[in-house]
Amino acid sequence: MEESRLEVSEEAETPRDVMDYSVEVRGLWKVFGPRSNEVMDGDLRRASKDEILEKAGCVLALRDISFQVERGEFFVLMGLSGSGKSTLIRCLLRLIEPTVGKVFINGEDICSYNKARLMHLRRHTVSMVFQHFGLLPHCTVIDNVAYGLKIRGMPKKERYERAQEAIETVGLKGWEHYLPNSLSGGMQQRVGLARALATDPQILLMDEPFSGLDPLIRRQMQDELVELQDRLRKTVIFVTHDLYEALKLGCRIAIMRDGEIIQLGTPEEIITDPADDYVREFVQDASPAKVLTAGKIMEEPELLLYEWQGPKAAHHMLRSSKQDHAFVVSKSRQLVGIVTRERIRETIERGASSLRDAMDEEPPTCTPDMLVEELFPIASSTPYPIAVLDENGRFLGVIHNRTILDSMIQDREEKTDV
Amino acid sequence: MYEFPEALSVPLSDWVDAVMSWLLTNWGTLFDAVGKALLQMLLYVERFFLLLPWPLVVAGVGLAAWRTLGKWWSGAVMAGLLMVIGSFGYWKLAMMTLAIVTSAVVISLAIGIPMGIVMARSDFVESTIRPVLDAMQTMPSFVYLIPALMFFGLGKVPAVFATIIYAMPPVIRLTNVGIRQVPSSVVEAAEAFGSSSWQLLFNVQLPLARPSIMVGINQTTMMALSMVVIASMIGARGLGLEVLLAINRIEVGRGFEAGLSIVFLAIIIDRITHALAARQQKTLGGGS
Repeated sequence: MEESRLEVSEEAETPRDVMDYSVEVRGLWKVFGPRSNEVMDGDLRRASKDEILEKAGCVLALRDISFQVERGEFFVLMGLSGSGKSTLIRCLLRLIEPTVGKVFINGEDICSYNKARLMHLRRHTVSMVFQHFGLLPHCTVIDNVAYGLKIRGMPKKERYERAQEAIETVGLKGWEHYLPNSLSGGMQQRVGLARALATDPQILLMDEPFSGLDPLIRRQMQDELVELQDRLRKTVIFVTHDLYEALKLGCRIAIMRDGEIIQLGTPEEIITDPADDYVREFVQDASPAKVLTAGKIMEEPELLLYEWQGPKAAHHMLRSSKQDHAFVVSKSRQLVGIVTRERIRETIERGASSLRDAMDEEPPTCTPDMLVEELFPIASSTPYPIAVLDENGRFLGVIHNRTILDSMIQDREEKTDV
Repeated sequence: MYEFPEALSVPLSDWVDAVMSWLLTNWGTLFDAVGKALLQMLLYVERFFLLLPWPLVVAGVGLAAWRTLGKWWSGAVMAGLLMVIGSFGYWKLAMMTLAIVTSAVVISLAIGIPMGIVMARSDFVESTIRPVLDAMQTMPSFVYLIPALMFFGLGKVPAVFATIIYAMPPVIRLTNVGIRQVPSSVVEAAEAFGSSSWQLLFNVQLPLARPSIMVGINQTTMMALSMVVIASMIGARGLGLEVLLAINRIEVGRGFEAGLSIVFLAIIIDRITHALAARQQKTLGGGS
């Protein structure tokens, strides 16, 4: 009874699968090695990765992957290196042939495609952006962008027009006739993106496109990609090893480990309810507040006052360096207090002659080994920046509220840059 | 005591002889036809080179060297070297030599580059062709000069044939290496956009392998030039024959002049083709 009901419900779902999903993967396996079929047929199917390597000499890259991607969805595959995410995204275009399983694009099983149809799919429906750009070094930017159109057989004039549009979309106007090697990494990846957009595909595959870029450029590219996606509404499948990037970009995220998807959900679901320790570790790791210390993020103060300076001189120095407050130290750099421009002005109006009259003698302080996490309560309870002092009370540096926030974002990006 | 047992001897020489005589009796007409066609082509090329007025050649070489090497005085030096050959009284012989070398190189490239491409696309083909290339380069050339003589008779044709065998391997090898060295990331990207096999070859692999192929062309040309003396032994006229005659008659001075002329030709051709190859490399921007 139960079995038959199951069958019915499955059949009923099939039409929905075909119509509604942009990309659907069903039971996809990839085993590298000459004896991959033995692995698929035998008991090794359930064996661990190491066991398969030992017994059959094959490397298991993907195990029984299934997921669906809606039209216009931004879908992120996330995992560390060796988790199989790059293999998976290549299987979607059969740059790597899956061992077993099906890949449906717009409801059609592309694994059954012959060469000509596969070529058509690659030329018209899906395009890809690569981590190492994969640009043609002997062609100019515009020829690179027009490449996908050229191999379709589009005449030169028309393809240059479309390439020009794509170049302007990614903000590379004026660079059309440069060679890729004369461009920075970020700009080269813009060329890669423009090349992918020029063919006007429904589906965009992106394999760690921003991993090779430095943090600031990467953040900028992410923002632009979000904006672009808002406008163009492509289906995007995006591979990354960076949880921050995944959380920022993804409608849904699939977290991969050892060739399997271990959690699939929205960013909120993944943060609030990690499926297992592996994901939990990822999520925890993503918070630099738990690792970063005050000593690492402190800065040199723009202005430091000495206790013997008069209020008028201090006021002048504050004004000319455009600071609202400054720490005051003694001759041996012991912290004495903090002054604000406003209070100095009042002091001067009152006619007092010592800086001490304008000083707040209990400014917020911390030690260099305190975690950024511990700075939050201090920062939120004071209008001043925090002074960093060593164990003898000597002034080392200053931490602004803004620095705390910046450090959290930048650190995430630097850490995943390796 | 430990003499190699006679029972294990392989009568390869007999087999080769048998194959040769079979080929000659059954396919002789084919070789004749091929030989005739080749000879016609060689004669045309030679006539063309002999028709060129010397001032035009000198000026042309000077200009080419200037443009490729980038300095006016390199052009002057190259033109000067040609003048020296002329002043030895070897202009005509040098042109004959050039005609043979040019024909041999063109045929070598026409066969060698496609062969290198095939080799780059299949590991199996690479592993089978490689020992053949080794044999072509290390087998003493007299060994195949004799069969060439038997097939084509005395004269230019066997000379060009032998030159081709000796000179072809570098361009095959370097075409193969050049294509295999194209970064896989670029090839993958081209495939991801739906390139066909031919589109991949002409848009990606050959342009990126071009510097390597140019080096191959340079090497092949130099090898061909180094064969001229040996080729003259089976009847190719030109500077090589002059060297051969001088050796036979122990005329040191004459031999030296002719030998020096060959060296000068080699220098001119090498510098110009080498500069072309280097320029290709530069436009690709240091490889990355």
